[in-house]
Amino acid sequence: MNYRNDEEERPAEGQLEHALADLAAPAPADFALRVLQRVGISRDRYDTYSHLDSAAGGLFVAYSPDAVTGSAVDTMVTDADEFERLHHARTGRTAIRASAPFPGLRPALRTGRAKRLPIDLGGLTDLECAVLHAVRSIPSGQLRPITWLAREASLPSATGPIVEALAKNPVPMLIPCHRVTYEGGMPCDAAYAERVGDALRSAEGIDMHRLEELTLRGAVFLGSDTTRIYCHPTCAHARRITRPHQVPFRTAGAARQAGYRACKSCRPATV
Amino acid sequence: MDDMAEQLTERLASDLDDGFTELVRVHASAVRAFLFRVSGSAAEADDLGQDTFLRAYSALQTYSPERRRKLKPRAWLMTIAANVWRNHVRTSVRHPVSATRAEDACDTWVDESPGPEERAATSADRTVLVKALTELPEKHRVAVVMRHVIGMSYSDMAEAQGCPVGTVKAQVSRGIGTLREILTPEAAVLGEVTR
Repeated sequence: MNYRNDEEERPAEGQLEHALADLAAPAPADFALRVLQRVGISRDRYDTYSHLDSAAGGLFVAYSPDAVTGSAVDTMVTDADEFERLHHARTGRTAIRASAPFPGLRPALRTGRAKRLPIDLGGLTDLECAVLHAVRSIPSGQLRPITWLAREASLPSATGPIVEALAKNPVPMLIPCHRVTYEGGMPCDAAYAERVGDALRSAEGIDMHRLEELTLRGAVFLGSDTTRIYCHPTCAHARRITRPHQVPFRTAGAARQAGYRACKSCRPATV
Repeated sequence: MDDMAEQLTERLASDLDDGFTELVRVHASAVRAFLFRVSGSAAEADDLGQDTFLRAYSALQTYSPERRRKLKPRAWLMTIAANVWRNHVRTSVRHPVSATRAEDACDTWVDESPGPEERAATSADRTVLVKALTELPEKHRVAVVMRHVIGMSYSDMAEAQGCPVGTVKAQVSRGIGTLREILTPEAAVLGEVTR
């Protein structure tokens, strides 16, 4: 009798302890930040970060008082704690959770236009900064090859260093590395897994099937026989050319020989 | 984890403000969870949590770098948190808020029932446990929360409480026993009879 009663009690013991462990409620999002403000730690000694929703899923964005200092797409990190650790490992600054995001961040994410958002690229070399600045000028919903980046940033057109610079992108999504492709039109997802890049591209409405089809037709550039201008196929102007008027070109030289000039918006060659 | 803790104390020793932000990042939620469960009120946990870190910071300012390097941050913070809470309980007992003061008239409107945050954090079946926890004697409550909610080791707890490991173990065990009695009165009676 006595023995059986003990046996019955044992699972209950485990339950009570489990229930107690479940009571460890996470602190409100701003708690750590309020503590630091109360103690009077200067705001420029630490970064804050918030978690925002975007068309391509959740995004962690860390920022100092003046500029965005880092970001990570949800699928790149396991949880907020890992984001905090990676941020510290890279920048040497602690990231504290806050509920109010950096001013201008929400509209930038909603529209995909993050070009004017101040971003701090401290710790990167001049070449890496130049490449990432060029990447920022690629409009939302469009793709550009690596040689285009090299030309815009006035760098030697060797692919290796540029891909390395792209791989170091500390602010994925806000510096749109997913809009960069290799010469053949294959996306160059250097800083994150391909599926992350795919999600970002499809969220911007980039139709990769249409582009594959164009590549098969041998169209690196697309010209219009009414205007005699040629563009990158994702350029807003190229997307307006109706199918009967589309003239595919393999190289800028071929287009020039056929009497076409380069588009001044997407700049497929030095205009 | 050990590596992380070492990094933290190293940062505290070399640059107080930088180390302190890291201390807050790593330990703020544990300190707040402790105070939340011990006091049973989210608003009080917020206030006392801020006091805890404020005290911790002023203490760290007076410590030498060597002393900061040797610190066991979690146990140390829990000591402060437990003291802050004890002080708070003592002052509120000695200075009960008088309902007659004009500026406190609004206190009569205060709703003592759990607010939205408390309710969210303590859904249905937890409510009973949270209530039972607040019925425990102070010492046992602190011990049970440290051990089972925060998940501290007995040796860390002994250090935080400034007493032998055996004492802490006894406090936890008595606390758990009392909790079980409160939660299932019949089972406790049965247990007493059969024991």
